[in-house]
This record gives sequence, C-alpha cells and structure tokens, in this order.
Amino acid sequence: MKVPKGTPPIDDVKDENQKKNKKKSTKKTLVEEEKEEKREPETLEPETNVPNNQEEDIDGEDDEINPAVEESDSSEDEVAPRNTIGNVPLKWYEDEDHIGYEITGKKIKKQARKDKLDSFLATVDDSKNWRKIHDEYNDEDVEITKKEIRQIRKLLEGKTPHSEIDPYPPYLDWFKWDDAKHPLSNAPDPKSRYIPSIWEAKKVRQLVRGIRKGHIQFDKPKEESRYYLLWGDDSSSREKGHGLSYIPPPKPKLPGHEESYNPSVEYIPTQEEINSYQLMYEEDRPKFIPRRFDALRKVPAYENAVKESFDRCLDLYLCPRTRKKRINIDPESLKPKLPSRKDLKPYPLTCYLEYKGHMGAVISISIQVSGQWLASGSKDGTVRIWEVETGRCLRIWELGEAVQYVAWNPVPELPILAVAVGQDVLLLNTGLGNAEEQQKVKELLRSEAPSELDNSDHSTSIVSWLQHDKHEGIKLKHLKMVTSVEWHRKGDYFSIVMPAVLIHQLSKKITQKIPFKLHGLPVSSVFHPSRPILFVSTKKSVRVYDLLKEKLIRKLETGVREVSSIAIHPAGSDNVIVGSREGKLCWFDMDLSSQPYRILKCHPKDITNVAFHRSYPLFASCSDDGTAYVFHGMVYSDLNQNPLIVPLEILRGHARTDGRGVMDCTFHPRQPWLFTAGSDSVIKLYCH
Amino acid sequence: MQVHSSGEKSRNRSVVAKFNLILVLWKLEDSRPPKMPKHYRPPGKKKEGNAAKYSTRSKALKHLQISLPHFRKLCILKGVFPREPKKKFEGNHKTYYHVKDITFLQHEPLLEKFRDIKAYDKKVNKARAKKNNPLAERLLSRKPDYTLDRLIRERYPGFIDALRDLDDCLTMVHLFAALPAVESEHIPVKRIHNCRRLSHEWQAYISRTHRLRKTFISVKGIYYQAEVEGQKITWLTPHAMQQVLTDDVDFKVMLTFLEFYETLLAFVNFRLYHSIHVEYPPILDPRLEALAADQYSLFKYITANSRASRVESQAVSSSDPEQAEVGKKGIQTEDSELRLAQLQHQLPANEPGALMQLVEDAAGDDKDDEETRECKTLFKNLRIFLSREVPRESLLFLIPAFGGVVSWEGDGAPFKETDEGITHQIVDRPTQGHIFLSREYVQPQWVYDCVNARIVLPTYGYLVGRVPPPHLSPFVDDEAEGYVPEYAETIKRLKAAAKKEFLPMPGSESQDLDDPQSLLVEGIISRTEATEAAEKKRKIDVLEKQYHDELKMELDRVPYSAALSKKNLNVEDKEESLPDQDQKAVDDAMFMVTETRKKRGLYKAMQKGKEKKMAHVNLLKERKKKAESAKSP
Repeated sequence: MKVPKGTPPIDDVKDENQKKNKKKSTKKTLVEEEKEEKREPETLEPETNVPNNQEEDIDGEDDEINPAVEESDSSEDEVAPRNTIGNVPLKWYEDEDHIGYEITGKKIKKQARKDKLDSFLATVDDSKNWRKIHDEYNDEDVEITKKEIRQIRKLLEGKTPHSEIDPYPPYLDWFKWDDAKHPLSNAPDPKSRYIPSIWEAKKVRQLVRGIRKGHIQFDKPKEESRYYLLWGDDSSSREKGHGLSYIPPPKPKLPGHEESYNPSVEYIPTQEEINSYQLMYEEDRPKFIPRRFDALRKVPAYENAVKESFDRCLDLYLCPRTRKKRINIDPESLKPKLPSRKDLKPYPLTCYLEYKGHMGAVISISIQVSGQWLASGSKDGTVRIWEVETGRCLRIWELGEAVQYVAWNPVPELPILAVAVGQDVLLLNTGLGNAEEQQKVKELLRSEAPSELDNSDHSTSIVSWLQHDKHEGIKLKHLKMVTSVEWHRKGDYFSIVMPAVLIHQLSKKITQKIPFKLHGLPVSSVFHPSRPILFVSTKKSVRVYDLLKEKLIRKLETGVREVSSIAIHPAGSDNVIVGSREGKLCWFDMDLSSQPYRILKCHPKDITNVAFHRSYPLFASCSDDGTAYVFHGMVYSDLNQNPLIVPLEILRGHARTDGRGVMDCTFHPRQPWLFTAGSDSVIKLYCH
Repeated sequence: MQVHSSGEKSRNRSVVAKFNLILVLWKLEDSRPPKMPKHYRPPGKKKEGNAAKYSTRSKALKHLQISLPHFRKLCILKGVFPREPKKKFEGNHKTYYHVKDITFLQHEPLLEKFRDIKAYDKKVNKARAKKNNPLAERLLSRKPDYTLDRLIRERYPGFIDALRDLDDCLTMVHLFAALPAVESEHIPVKRIHNCRRLSHEWQAYISRTHRLRKTFISVKGIYYQAEVEGQKITWLTPHAMQQVLTDDVDFKVMLTFLEFYETLLAFVNFRLYHSIHVEYPPILDPRLEALAADQYSLFKYITANSRASRVESQAVSSSDPEQAEVGKKGIQTEDSELRLAQLQHQLPANEPGALMQLVEDAAGDDKDDEETRECKTLFKNLRIFLSREVPRESLLFLIPAFGGVVSWEGDGAPFKETDEGITHQIVDRPTQGHIFLSREYVQPQWVYDCVNARIVLPTYGYLVGRVPPPHLSPFVDDEAEGYVPEYAETIKRLKAAAKKEFLPMPGSESQDLDDPQSLLVEGIISRTEATEAAEKKRKIDVLEKQYHDELKMELDRVPYSAALSKKNLNVEDKEESLPDQDQKAVDDAMFMVTETRKKRGLYKAMQKGKEKKMAHVNLLKERKKKAESAKSP
C-alpha cells in the first residue's frame, strides 16, 4: 500500500529518550512533533517506512546511511545511536579514554585528537570538508549529504523539508457528479431568477439621475494652479482691517558673532565659565554656548532646530502682543540744560582753614555780622570765639553742659552772643567792640533785677531772667530743654524753641508766648528777614504767622517725614528751604504754591541744617553723612521766572563720629565762604 | 443638650433666652438684602471697561461653539493673537482675546467650512463602520477643501505687508524642506516636496535678481538676508543634514502654520516671478530635477523664460492687443513639454557661458539700484567649481547671486572639473589630491566672507588644510556693540584699500588672470603703503595749517605774547578736559540730586544697561588677551 502523497513520511519510532537528545528544539519543531504524535495511530507503519526511505536513499548521491544524522527527520529511525550512555553530561567522560558503551556493552574508545595543523591540512585537501560535522556524543565525524543540506536549507526557509512533497495538492472530490441520474433537489427556480428587481431598478435610476445631475462624478476634476496674481492692484485697494490695530510680531533676533560656526577665540567661553553656568539659575543661564568647528564639513545638524521653530510658532499665536515704547536715547540727554558751574563762580570749593580746639562735637556755630568773629558751641560744654581770618581762638567759656545753640546778635553794635545750654539761654557779653559799644552792651545785660520781679505776674512759670554771675550776662531759665535761639534782625527780640516757642525781648526783659496754636511740636522758628513774620516749623509742616496781625498767613506742606531745619531767603522774596531728617531738601516758593517747588534728594542721611547766603545766590545743606552740599539758588525779581537751582559742589572732609557727621553750617555774611561744624570737633572754612 | 441636672435649669433657661434673642437679631440681620458680589452689575446695565472689551479663551470657545483645536487653527490662520487687558479681570493665569477679534473669527467663512469638514468626516466614518468601503472611498475622493488666498489678502492687503512678515515663513518652509517625512507625525511626503520646491523657487528668484545682501554660517544653520522691494528679509536654512526630531514638539501646530506659510510663499513667488515676466509655477528640466539640481534647472528656466517673455512683450506691443491676448493664451495652453523643448532650443545645453550671457542680457536693462549692481559684479570674472563635500545647495544659490559662474561635481553640471577656465575650486577637505596650478583651492567660508565684505578677499587664509580666519556675523553693528573683532578690522582695511588703490585692478586682472594670488598680494602691499602715506600727509597738513595760522596772526598784528597766551589758553582747555572723569562723576551725583525719581530711575536703568554691555566687552577683551598670551610663548 502506498502512502498518499499529501502526508509526509513520518517516522517516529524514536523513543522519548532520543527525542530529548535532540539538540534542535525550536518551538516550531516541537509543535510539529506533537502533530506527528497525534497521527501516529493512523500512519505508524514501520515496515512501510523502510522501503520509502530506501527509495529516497536511492535518489540521493550517498548511498551510505549515517546513523548519527539525528537532525534530519527522515534518517533518525534508521540506526539507533551507537553510544548508549543516554542523556548524561559528556563532562563525566572527559578524563576517561572512552566516551561510552555500545549496545553490546563494549567501550567506545575516544579517537585520537588531530592536531590543528593536520585538521587544517585536511580541510584544504578535502573539498567536502565544509559538510563535515563533529558529533561529540558519538565522537565521530559525520558528513552531511547534499540532500540533507537541501533539507536544512528548506527548513531554514520555513518550507516543507522534503522537496517532493506538495503541501497544497489539488482537491479530489470524493463524489462523482457527472452521470448522476437524479438531481439533488427538484425545486422550481425562484421568481427572482427571472423577474427584474424593482429595487435594483430604483437604485439604477437613482444613480443615473445622480450622474446626469452631476451629484456623482467619476473622474476627478482637473487640478488647476491655485495661484494667481493676488496683489495685482496693489495701489488701489487698501482694505480696512477689522478695527483693531495689527501689531506685527517682533522679528527674531539676528545672530551675533558668537553664533558663528567658527567664531573668534574671544567668543568661546572657557571650561570654567561653562561649569559656572551650572551654578546659575536656569533662567539666567545662557541659552546658547558658542562652539568652534575648524571646518565647515564638521558642523553637525543643530539639535534644537525643530524645537526653536516650534517655540517661535507658540510665541506667534499664544503670546499676547502689546506695543511698548522703548526709548533709545543717550542717557546724557536726560540731564537738564543747566548753566555751567564755571559760570556760577564764586562758591565755596576747597577747605581753606580748620578751627581746632574743641574737645567734643561742635554742635552749633554762628558768625558775627561783620564777618570777623565766629562763635561755636560744643558738646564738651564750651563756647569759643574764633577770629575768622587767622583761626585764633579768642575766648572760651566753660559752661559745664553741652551747648545746643549759639547765635550772634545781628546788630553789629551789640556783640552779644545767645547760647542755649540745657534749660538755659545765656546772653553773653563777648567783650568785643569799642568802649562805647561795651557800655551799651553792659547796660543791656545788667538791668535784670526788676525783670525778675516783673515776670512774676504772667510768665514766671516759664522763664526767669537772672543775672549770670560767673560770666557777666543774663541767664534765662526755662522749664524745658532749649533747642534753638534765633534773633530778630533788629537785635532786640529773639525767639527760642523748647517744646514751645517763646519770644524774648532783650531791652525790656520781657518774655511772651506766641499767640498761636501750634499743631505738633515745634522744631525751629525763624524771623522773616524784612517783615514781621515768624516761621515756625513742626515736624510735618511750616506755619507762617504774621506777628502784627497775629494770624496764620500760610501753611507750607512739606510732604517729608520730619523737618529738621529751615532757612529763609535773605532777599525777602518768600523763598524758604526746609531740610528734613530723611535727607530731602524742599525749596518753597511761597508765591507759587504751598507745595514745594523743588525737592532735592541729596543726602542719604539726616539733614542737620540748611543755610542761605546773605548776598550771593548760594545755599547749602549739611548732613549726618559727613557732607555738605552747596547749591546755586538764583531768585529772579521777575515773578514769571522760577528760581534757578543748580547743584554746585559736594564738600567732603568731615569724619563721621558717633553716627553724626556735619552738625551745622553757616555762610560768611560777605564772602562766598562756608563754615561747617563737624562732630569730629573741627570747624572748617571752605573758600572759593 | 437634653441631659441637664435640675440645678442648672434656671440658668439654662436664661441662656436659651439669650440664644433666642441672638437668633432673632441674626434673622433681622439676615432679612436685609444679601451682600453684593464684588463685581456686581445690576440687571439691564451693560458690561463696561475691560470686561466688555476682552474675553477669556474659554469664553470665546463657548461663544464660537468650536473645539479648542479648531479655535487654535483658526487663530493661526487668521493671525489672531491674545491681547493684554489693562486689568485682568478673571485672573492672571488666563489668556485674553479682544472681543473684536472673536467676532472677527465668528464671521470667518472658514469656521463654517471646518464644520462642514467635520460633518463630512462623520459621513466617511459611518461608511467605514458599515463596511461600505466604496462609498467611503468615493466620499474621501471628493472631500471638501478650503483655500487660504482670501485670508492672505485680508492679512496682507499690500504686497509690502506680506514681504514684511516673510521671515518666519521662509525659515519654516526651509526647515521643513530639510525634514524627513514622518508618517507617525502626519508629515506627508507631498508637503515636504512642496516646501522644497517653494524654497528653491524663492532662492532662484533672489539669486537671479541679485537681491541677496548678507549671509552667515551659524551653528544653527545658514542665515541669508535679501532685500526685496526695500524690505530686508532674513531667513535661516538648516545645515543639509539629517534633522533631529524631538518628542516635545506638537507637529499639528507647526503644520497649521506651514499650511499658511506655503500658500503665502507660493503667492509671493507668483507675484515676484510675475514682476520679472516669468510664468509661475515653473516647469523644470526633469533630468536636472532628478539629479537634485533643482536650483540650477530653475535658474535655467527663469533666465530663458524672462528673455522669451521680454521678446514676446516687445512683439506684442507692436501688434494689436487682441492678438496679444490670443498669443498669451496660446502660451498658457502650450504643453509643458513643448515649452521645455523651446527652452532647450533657446539655451545651448550645459553652456555656462551662454547662460551667463543670458543672465547679463536679462539683467542689463533692469533699473537696479547701486547695491544690486555692486552685488551683481562681485564674482563677475570668477569661474567657481564645487567639490563633492561642500554644501552645494547653499553655494549654488550664493555664487550666481553675486554674479559668479559655478559648477559642481556630478551629472548635469555645466562644466567639468578639468575645465581650464576655472579660477577657484571650493574644497573642504584636509588635503587636496590632484592640484591644478591654474586655480585656487579655497574653503567654502571664503565665499561667505567675500559676500559679506563685498570684495574678493585674498584667499591666503582660506587655503586647503588651514583653519580659516574667524567667521563674523554681518548682522552686528560692531561700533554700537563697542567691540570690534580683529578680523573685522582687517576686512575693513582691505575694503578701504580696495576702494582707493585697488581700482585699476580689474583691468590688470583681465590681463593675467592666471595668477590672481600674486596680484592680491601686491594689492595688500600697496594698501599698507597707502595707509602709511595717508598718515604722513595728515601730519604735514596739520603743520601746514599751524604755519598758516601764525602767518595770519602776524598779518593781523596780534602781539606775540597774546598769541602765546591764547595758545596757553588752548593748553589749559586741554588740561581742564583731562580731569573729565572726576567732573563727570560729580555731574552724575548732581543730576541724581536734582531730578525727579522717574528720570533718575530711567537714567539708572540706562547706566545699568551700559555697564552690562561694558562688562561683556571687557570679558571679550580679557579672553582675547588670555588667548594671545597663551599663544605667544
């Protein structure tokens, strides 16, 4: 009986043990084996297989059957493997001179090892050598036949291993239809076989209609160029937009030298600099690190090209756009056109003289009207009088307590010095001037006895006029600390500031309170240089009182935190400067408004004093930061013209001690000279 | 609170009474009208201010009834961008659009079109779901499409406006021309090819009309700047390499932009080609196209066609207008191949001399401005050959744009490497094998530097195997930056010299063209001599002037002492100018004193910017010094 062509010659005589020995164990083969096992009961006929195999062998070139060719499906069954040791590691036999036992129990000797040279020579000589495989299990060389190689190749290609076998044979029907007497069914043909379908007709009609009307088109419309002259009539049509201004996107930044593929050396950061970028915040880090390639061919593709393009796209449609004005001007053009400082000379420039002698910080200085004598009061409790031109100390008073304020009587015939010490105000006779003047002064300073009785009636509680015994003069005893003394221009009245403002009259030895309500603690008070007006500054504002009419004229809003000092323009043109503890200097033009005309932020620390020059258009401010500023402050008689303020010079030189700098400043009455008193116990004279 | 001891009861009652009282009070309080919300608008009153003018994005979406992707696409196509309201009434983190912009989008026909397309897609999907593939395919083949020309006209009413915004467009198109087609990102091959074509058309126009002004090889790619109708247009082309695609890029957005840009560039190209009487879209020599020498084929096309159309227009002007129209129609309907044949007939194949002749012909009667004329003649007498390894596309664009004749290694090139007339060969390799003595072997950077300097630079530094001199950006104003690199100064000197002493060069160059190197060297020598001579002359002039002044004084009988004092005054002036720094510091301090806070802030900010700039310049100088000191020992 012949095996049908469709079935492969199956030969699974091999027992389970042998199967395990198989080295080829891919999944595919495993599956095949399973299939084969299933068919076993049907087709297992070992006798029939043998002749089949013999037939194949006849076809093949090599008649010899190699028992060791286990890999091939067909020849597995022919001979059992010579070695019977089973599936044990060959390592066990490494040291033996045999590799196992034959079926009869004889030892199988190991073959002598060929040395490499011999085996190489053998390969050279033998053309069939590439087909030889060493079988370690049986310790012999096996030559694979050509047919087997063909099979292996087919297996590798995933085909049926045997070339003769057609996996898809034509189907042979088991039943013969041709000469059958009776049909299988005798039913008549259905109606639909010969009657035309209404639905189909409908469908056809629909399609025809569609085609006729052009709903259905079979060939695609011919593609025409979609482009034409879009901006043909450029000049005529300027279509209006939708009302909103179009803001064009800003153009991307053009590349600089550093982006070049071959930049100059100076654009390439060193390794340390690159490392230091790592320490920076991410947003500060430079986005692009220049690199250098010594030839164009070495430049690689830029890795961020797509990313950057995408970012640009995002910017274009996601970023809100606004128009921003960016001024591109020279910063120097911001500076106002001021007259050159050379043209504004003379003004104090350099330190010319130093008056040394005080042991503590010089708190207050005052210059006599003649400009010949300078008085100074210090923290060490002394008042000194200096000769201005020589720097000689003329006289010293030891008062024992820190001197708060010194002020010369503004009348040149009365060389009287008012000194504020603690709660007292002393009126001292300086002993200057000729005999006649001395007589007058002494008279003024002597008639104190009646006043003491006199002031019992209304102002005893505040002030008592006493004769000072030690230094011939008058002592006004107050209830509280006196901080400043200011003379009226006629030399008869003087105002003092303790937490209240008092006005004393020297000739009558009378003291009176000012008849106004003060809002807040007074800081300083000044008489107007020509009119009967009193300026009293509190911490926030300056109040201007008319002394004759006894009423408030003006309230100047400084807008600063704490006023420290005040000075009036000597020309009587209602210009006032106010210095503040935050370092701001306010210039008020009272004709203009009660707000400052100009605020100068010059000092980083408290302004201690401000001063006007009597005749020159100069004013100065001194501060705890150890500097004094000199300004040109021109006031024009023309009311339409605003005062001109030009900063002129910063005078440095005083050393700062105990957190205080320059304590006081005052101008020379005739010369453009400035005296400054420092906390370093030195008085300096700055000349032009 | 139900369990209470009896002792506490009375007290509890009073507590309860109090509680009730509080409750009543609270109720009384409650009966008052409820507290107003912060931004309460009474009914019937319209919105005012920012809330009326702006709307957030989510509100806009709701108003337009479209999805976010569609809104995004519309915004991109219409050029609508968010605007910043003075007060962000719904919070800082939201995007605000102007209400007018939103109504502008609302009336866009494209919005309706998008809806149609969406409905149509649903139809297709339905057919697919029912396995009705023929229907699906038929539907797909007739999918509704939209055009963007109206939008372009709307966004750019004038051609100039379009040119002004062309930078991003060109950069994007050139980038996509270099990208690979990625199916996963929906970048079809067709779009890439279209981008390539458009970019080549643009380059061909620029090159043919000599509009290119500056170029710069950067790490990011090659920058070009052209001047078209007075507009400076800068674009970036990536290096001809495999581009890197990153994940963090949303290609949908980019493709939407690209869609608009492609259309825009096509219309711009049309208009530009129209202005030089060349038909658009151009039909290219398929053989050259296949060889990827698109540009060259485009050049050929442009030059040939412009000439033909010019001749034609002349003919037309003589005949009556009707005939002209017929003729034009005839041209339009002409088969492309016929036209090509004609083109080939007009143009002796692969004859660069003839080509150049044609270019000259075409350009001769145009009214060019001076700069264009200068650009046109930069490489006039040079025949340049490109080796395999140099970036061919860029150089093929660049060299003809400046009037040079160029060829390359490969099929379809106008002349071969062995051509005797070649003056320069561009190579980019460490050593050169076979060397023709008649030509110079230079690195590609030479071409770019020449273009930027607008003179033919000496090739000495750019020879094969050398590290070329630094490549500088032409977009930087060195004076404004405050730092002039060394090589920029060298180029400046060469330029100045070329303008004066170098004038007779071209004549001599034509005489012995074989050895331009020696000539250039001569030129350099003569330049240095010239600069020295100029210096001398200046000194002599000064002396002479002094002498004349003295003479004049004598004539005016000014006493000698007065003159002296005058001189002294001059001297003093000089001395006074010396402590200028100190003076300036004082001035600054004074300025700070007198000015308002606003001005002070502005001034300070400016000073800060200045200082930053100075710091950068100082850093550069320091690095330079270091590099030099490292080199010298």
